[in-house]
Amino acid sequence: MIWPRLNWLSSVRTATGGMLRHKVQAVVLGMVLLVSTASATLGLALLAATSGPFQHAFNAQDGAHLTVTVNPARASAAHLARTRSLPGVTGMAGPFGQATVQTQWQGQPFGQLTLAGRSSPGGPVDDVVLTAGRWATGPGQIVLNGPAGGGGPALGDVVNVTGARGVSLTVVGFGSSITNSADGWVAPAEVPLLGPSSGAQLLYRFASSGTASQIRADLAEVTGALPPGTVTGAGSWLAAESQSEGNGAIMEPFVVAFALIGLAMAVLIVANVVSGAVAAGYYRIGVLKSIGLTPAQVVVAYLSRVGVPALAGCALGVVAGNLLAVPVLHQSADAYGVGSQTVPWWASVLAPTGMLVLTVLAAFGPALRAGRLSATQAIAAGRAPASGRGYGAYRLASRLRLPRPVGMGLAAPFTRPARTLVSLAAIAFGATAVIFAFGLSSSLGRAAGIQTLSATVPVQVQQQGPGGGPNQVPTAAQDAAVTAALRAQPGTARFAEAYENQVKVPGVSGAVNAWAFSGDTSWLGYGVITGRWYDAPGQVDVNTAFLNDSGLAVGDIVTVNTGSAQVTARIVGEVFHPSSDPTVYGSTATLPGLASAANADEWDVALRPGVTAAGYVQSVNAALGPASPWGATTQKGGGKFYTIAISLIGLLSLMVAVAAGLGVLNTVLMTTRDRVHDLGIYKALGMRPGQMLTMVVCWVVGPAVIAAAIAVPAAVALNTATVHAMAGTAHTGIPASVTAVFPPSRLALLSLAALAIAVVGALAPASWAARARPAVALRTE
Amino acid sequence: MIDHSVTDHGVPGDVIRVDGVTKAYQSDGLPALADVSMSVAAGEVVAVMGPSGSGKSTLLNLIAGLDRPTGGTVTVAGRRIDTLGESALARFRARHVGIIFQFFNLLDDLTVEDNVLLPAQLAGASRRQARARAGELLERMGIADFRDSYPARMSGGQRQRVAIARALVNEPEVLLADEPTGALDSATGQEIGRLLRSLAAAGQTLVLVTHDPEMAERYAARVVHIVDGRLAGTGVGALR
Repeated sequence: MIWPRLNWLSSVRTATGGMLRHKVQAVVLGMVLLVSTASATLGLALLAATSGPFQHAFNAQDGAHLTVTVNPARASAAHLARTRSLPGVTGMAGPFGQATVQTQWQGQPFGQLTLAGRSSPGGPVDDVVLTAGRWATGPGQIVLNGPAGGGGPALGDVVNVTGARGVSLTVVGFGSSITNSADGWVAPAEVPLLGPSSGAQLLYRFASSGTASQIRADLAEVTGALPPGTVTGAGSWLAAESQSEGNGAIMEPFVVAFALIGLAMAVLIVANVVSGAVAAGYYRIGVLKSIGLTPAQVVVAYLSRVGVPALAGCALGVVAGNLLAVPVLHQSADAYGVGSQTVPWWASVLAPTGMLVLTVLAAFGPALRAGRLSATQAIAAGRAPASGRGYGAYRLASRLRLPRPVGMGLAAPFTRPARTLVSLAAIAFGATAVIFAFGLSSSLGRAAGIQTLSATVPVQVQQQGPGGGPNQVPTAAQDAAVTAALRAQPGTARFAEAYENQVKVPGVSGAVNAWAFSGDTSWLGYGVITGRWYDAPGQVDVNTAFLNDSGLAVGDIVTVNTGSAQVTARIVGEVFHPSSDPTVYGSTATLPGLASAANADEWDVALRPGVTAAGYVQSVNAALGPASPWGATTQKGGGKFYTIAISLIGLLSLMVAVAAGLGVLNTVLMTTRDRVHDLGIYKALGMRPGQMLTMVVCWVVGPAVIAAAIAVPAAVALNTATVHAMAGTAHTGIPASVTAVFPPSRLALLSLAALAIAVVGALAPASWAARARPAVALRTE
Repeated sequence: MIDHSVTDHGVPGDVIRVDGVTKAYQSDGLPALADVSMSVAAGEVVAVMGPSGSGKSTLLNLIAGLDRPTGGTVTVAGRRIDTLGESALARFRARHVGIIFQFFNLLDDLTVEDNVLLPAQLAGASRRQARARAGELLERMGIADFRDSYPARMSGGQRQRVAIARALVNEPEVLLADEPTGALDSATGQEIGRLLRSLAAAGQTLVLVTHDPEMAERYAARVVHIVDGRLAGTGVGALR
């Protein structure tokens, strides 16, 4: 007997025939799941990427816990190699010869670079991730540490080493060392040609290296194992970790917010699509039952009917999510400075599995109900027109002085309140996501502007190149040359010199960053969260981390020990500076001792009206000359974090809006199917295609207006909560202007997003309805 | 009495003229209508008769502009409608044709009055004029008391009266009725028949599709027979 087995197979085949008969609905189901799965995959990947990005990358790249600089003349290669077997050492790489050189790029100072000679990027410790180009394998080639682009050298550019024998290095690649073990890498044979050696670097991994004291003990062990004077310097991975920690989880709040919106909407739409598909198939179920299909076979048939497009949607969705994640994670890795990030395998499994389980669960209820119906009940349910509600709405609409198709369209949602609610919810979720995305982009744009002072300070003079920093100390004469050059420029409106050093504040453990400015700084545009910017000696501003660490508040008196003097000052304001490092700002008069050549950090410059920043920068740099360690740069607006965050927000909101549009499309499609006979009557009575289109689009206008009324306050609240959550992660408060990004005119405009989603979603089925021949519509039921 | 000549050529002044019309629903199947020609003069009442599946409803759909012929031409109220676009066809239907369906095809969520008003509103008639015309028709059909009722709560005969009122609201040149008594009991069917005859007596051009010979004979001036999609002959009805 082969009948029992064949029965099951045939039931599935029958159902597949049913699915093919409802191709559009199958496509919508597949598309919704594609978008939902892609969003879920991308969201999970981003959450993974933003959750401890440094630690993940550090582990993946076998980051060096300790970078030790040694003098090779003091110890033999064998002696250095023996440190690999020291207790506690789990990995070692090197020695790599290194040289510290002054460089120029495009005729301008490019700063001081520490270059290491490595024959390959890989190794047991500090696996350098090549992000562009290739590794340096021959003479005259260099791989720079850091991402490609961003206004610096590009592949093929030449970086000249000054002061040496005219060595020119062609940029052949960009790599990323998680602990920034060097500013660039050359072939080992190139190092001696660059000039005097600055030693060699040894890279270690240790079994215990989680704290500064453990690292000190590790260093002591290495130092003790080598001849005296061999170790000339060392760098801990904890410094790189603390630098990246501030950025780590800032994106988490908005990724979570979008993920929740996307997930809630996916559940809603999938359940609606499946219920609709099942309800639309009642007649077929009845017929199949009447010819002998068992309830169990009906359930299987139905699950397989939605299962096939769902499976296809989930499979394509996970592929799409992975593809979308490539550029996004590339940007994310750049922003976090972690080389590379990939979609974790569990995200590619969890997202489609979750969506598939969700679909099956959503389908199971209606399928079970279909299985339990008797054949006659199913046929009757499939044939019965879904009517009986909304009479009052139609009557009211006919009394209104509106074109008849508009009136009937506006009344239609009342005939299927449950379906209307689903449409309304989908539109509301989609509109919330779009308005939230606009708001969050604006908030982040403002935060970026405030943080980088890009609106008020179009030009800054800073030490040039990636090698600029504590080891590169310009002279007082070079500083004075900058001041003179700025004064001499006719385009200079005003400028302030900023000095930075660390100070001590009683009550704050560890050092406090101090910024001292010369001259009037009221125009600088620091974002003030509470209080005001200082305007007299004896006043300082501080960041949120300072207030948190010190327990002080705006209005309190603070004692600052600058190293050369101990002064007291009143805290007059809390400024926006996203960092966990406590920072204090004041004038050079308030913070004596900071205004020295060693502490000079930058000049902030405002330009006269009509002066272009690019032209001004060129003019200042020409005046300073190539030998100056200082160089003028234009402000680039937001940093990388803001750029990636804003592009991510755009991508996520677009996906949510697409899913919302598909949700609307599905409900309108189901309604046109239900009402196809009525639509035929309208046409027979003379309703023109344009009137039909208007009427069907008007089905969703009412829900869209209500959805907009819900979405606007929801998006504003979500934006405020998310920005505060992000700020909290970044250890800062937020100036009120960052969240005040929704003036009424903008909100009114943004609320049209609901209408746009609804109309775009309804347009396709409305066009199909408008194009249908009346005789065909009248025959179809 | 049936005349078995298989064409029915029109004369100038015909309101409906169908020339060599063919309609095939599937390119490789038998046509539902094959090379049919007929005409209907102004004020004439013509019954189209034939067994189920003979193509009579298809012919009515083509005359109403609800469907397009595969071949041939259809001219109604002086306009060739087989070449019109969907919008123009809809406008044409609203202004020139009234249709009465076997199963009434009323909109259940609209009141009787709103059902009757709808074609006028779609055609852009003024609200006041449309209401006045609808009120007059409801009176004439004897269902004025039901103007605020919903069709689902009415009898079959009452519903068909609403459908007739709706078909007449734009004062069409041509009234097309597809088995107008098919869903009614015989007494109610006769009532509707008398109503249609009174319309014909008032000069309304009427094409009546039926498979009931008695109805065709009684209410039409001319009877056109269709069998297997072809014109099988014409006869004379009682109205002549």
